[in-house]
Amino acid sequence: MRTGSSMLNWRAASLALAVVVLAALPTVASAFFINFVMTQTLMMGLAAATIVFLAKYGGMVSLAQFLFFGVAGFMYGNAALEVGSRGLNLGLPPWTAVGFALIVTTVAAFLLGALASRTTGLYYLMLTMVYAVIGYFVFAQVTEISGPSGITSIERPDELAAPVSLYYTALALSVLAYIGFRALGRTAFGLALQGVRDDPVRMASLGFNVPLHRTLAFTLGGFVAGLGGLVNVWWNGQIDPASIGIGPTLVLLIIAVIGGVSYFEGAWLGAFVYVAMFTYLRDLPLVDRIGITEARFNTVIGVVVLLIMVLSPQGLAGIADRFRRRLSDRRRPVAETSDRSEGASHRAQSIDK
Amino acid sequence: MTDDHSTDPGRNGAAPVVLVRSVQVAFGGLLALRGIDLDAAQGERLAILGPNGAGKTTLFNVIAGDITPTGGSVAIKGVDCTRLPSRRRPRLGVARTYQKARTFEGLTVADNIYLALAGHRRRHRVPWRTAADRALRAEAEGVAESVWLGDHIETDAGELAHGQKRQLELGMAIATEPDVLMLDEPASGLSRGEREHLVDLLEALPEKVTVLLIEHDMEVAFRIADRVVVMADGETVTAGTPEAVRSDPRVHEIYLGSEAETS
Repeated sequence: MRTGSSMLNWRAASLALAVVVLAALPTVASAFFINFVMTQTLMMGLAAATIVFLAKYGGMVSLAQFLFFGVAGFMYGNAALEVGSRGLNLGLPPWTAVGFALIVTTVAAFLLGALASRTTGLYYLMLTMVYAVIGYFVFAQVTEISGPSGITSIERPDELAAPVSLYYTALALSVLAYIGFRALGRTAFGLALQGVRDDPVRMASLGFNVPLHRTLAFTLGGFVAGLGGLVNVWWNGQIDPASIGIGPTLVLLIIAVIGGVSYFEGAWLGAFVYVAMFTYLRDLPLVDRIGITEARFNTVIGVVVLLIMVLSPQGLAGIADRFRRRLSDRRRPVAETSDRSEGASHRAQSIDK
Repeated sequence: MTDDHSTDPGRNGAAPVVLVRSVQVAFGGLLALRGIDLDAAQGERLAILGPNGAGKTTLFNVIAGDITPTGGSVAIKGVDCTRLPSRRRPRLGVARTYQKARTFEGLTVADNIYLALAGHRRRHRVPWRTAADRALRAEAEGVAESVWLGDHIETDAGELAHGQKRQLELGMAIATEPDVLMLDEPASGLSRGEREHLVDLLEALPEKVTVLLIEHDMEVAFRIADRVVVMADGETVTAGTPEAVRSDPRVHEIYLGSEAETS
C-alpha cells in the first residue's frame, strides 16, 4: 500500500510539473519548436497512446490506430469543405463537422473492433494491419470521399486560427487522454479489460462478455485516435491516403515501442524522439559527410529503435522507470531501519515507564 | 427429463440442481465422455473420482459451458443449458475453479475478487468509479480474508504461491455466491497444512450450495463428500456413499490399476 500511494504521488507530481512546463513552453521556445515539433509530438503521442491503451490493458496490439487517425481527418475534410474538386463537400459548420468526423470514426472503430474481437495475439495484429491496408485503398480509390491525391485546403475552426492554439488543443487532449486512460485502469471496465488480457476463458466463466469488452475498448481507442487525427488535419490543412498507408502505420507502432508499450507516458516520449530525430538530424554537423542523408533517416531511426530495444525492451519510459525504482530502493532500507529504531526506542521508553 | 431422476434421486427427493443426461463428447475420434448421467441435489457434496483421462474435467467443462457436448443434455436448476455459452452460466448460479489455477496474474488479489463480484453484479462495463464500487471493494477484501488472503490483498496474483492461487480461485468462485460450486482438483499441489485450510473452507460453505468436486486426494474427497461418483474411460463406474465406494472392488481395480500404470 505504502509504495502504491508514494508512486501515485510521484506520478501526480511529475504529471503536474510536465503540464506546467509544457503550458509555459510557448513563452520561451521558438515558434518552430512549438508549432512544428511539439504539436506533432502531442498529436502523434495521442494516437500512439491508444496503441498503449489497447496493448497494456487489453493485450491487443493494434495496427489500425493510424487508420482511425486518418478516418477522422478525411471525414472532417469531407464534412467541412463547401466546394472543392474532391470529397463529399457537405459544407457543415466546423464544429458540426468535428462531431460528424468523430461519430463516423467511432462507428467504424466499433464495427471493425467487433469483427476482430474473437482473435488474439498475432492474428489480432495481422487483422488490424489488414484494416489499415483496406483503409488506405478505400480512401485512395473511392473518389467520392478522397481519391489518390486526398483532400486539400482544409481550414480549421476560427477558434483555432492561431497556430499556437493547435499546440494547446493537442496538449489539452493529450493530458485528458493520459489521465483518462490511467483512471480507466482502476474502474470496473478497465479492470475487466485487464482480466480479459490475462485470461479470457476465466473472464467468460465469471459471466463477462469477452468479445464485447474487447470491442468497446477498441472503439474507445479509435475515438481517441480520431481526436489526434482532427488535430493532424487542422495542422496539415490537407490529408491524402499515402499519409495513412502502411509506412505511417508502422511508424506509430515504432513510436509506441520506442517509448515503451506498457507506459502511457512512453507514447509521447516516443513521439518526441521520433519527431525530433526527423526534424533535427539534418542539422547535426557533419552528418551528411558520414553518409546520413535524408533518404537514410529511416535507417538511423531503425538503428535507434534497435538500440533502445536491446537496452530496454520496455522502451524509454522503461529506462526512466528502472532508474526511479533504483533510486527509491536505495532510499527505502534506510527509511525502514529508522522506522524500526524509532519503534524500538518507543518500546524502550514504554518499558521504562 | 424429470422422469429420469427416479434412477438417482437427489437428496430429500427434490429436483436435481445439476442434471446431466447421456452426455457425449468426442474429440475427433476419441470419445472423452460416453453417454454419462449425473445428478446433484441442492446442498449435495458430490466427489467425482477417477484415473487420469477418465473424463472428469471434460464433464466439468460441459457443465460449465466451456465445451458443448456432441450429444446429451445438461440442465441446471431445471433450465436446459446444453448450448448456453459459458458466460451465461454464472447467472444460473454456476461457479468453477480450474485444474490449473486461473487467476488474473497482472492484477492484485483484491482486484481479482472484485472482478468476480463485478461480473456477478453485472457492473463490469461501468467506466467510472462509484460508491457501489467502494462497497464492492470492501466486500472483495472480506472475501480475501475468508480465504486467508487478508495479508495479500495488494499482492499481484502472479506473485502468489501455488496454494495461495488456489485459495484466490476459490475466493473468486465463492464471491459470486454460487448455487453450484465446481472445484477441479482444489487440493492438488497443496501442502498438508493448506489442505486442512481447504477442507475447513469447504466445510464452512453454506449448506444450500451444491459442490461438485474432482479430487485425487482421497482423504480430502471422502471428508467433504456425501456421495462419490467414480468415472473411468468416459463412463460412470459406480456411485454411492463414500463408505460403499471405498469398499467397492471395481474401484480398487480401476483406480489403483491405472494409477500403477501411470506411475
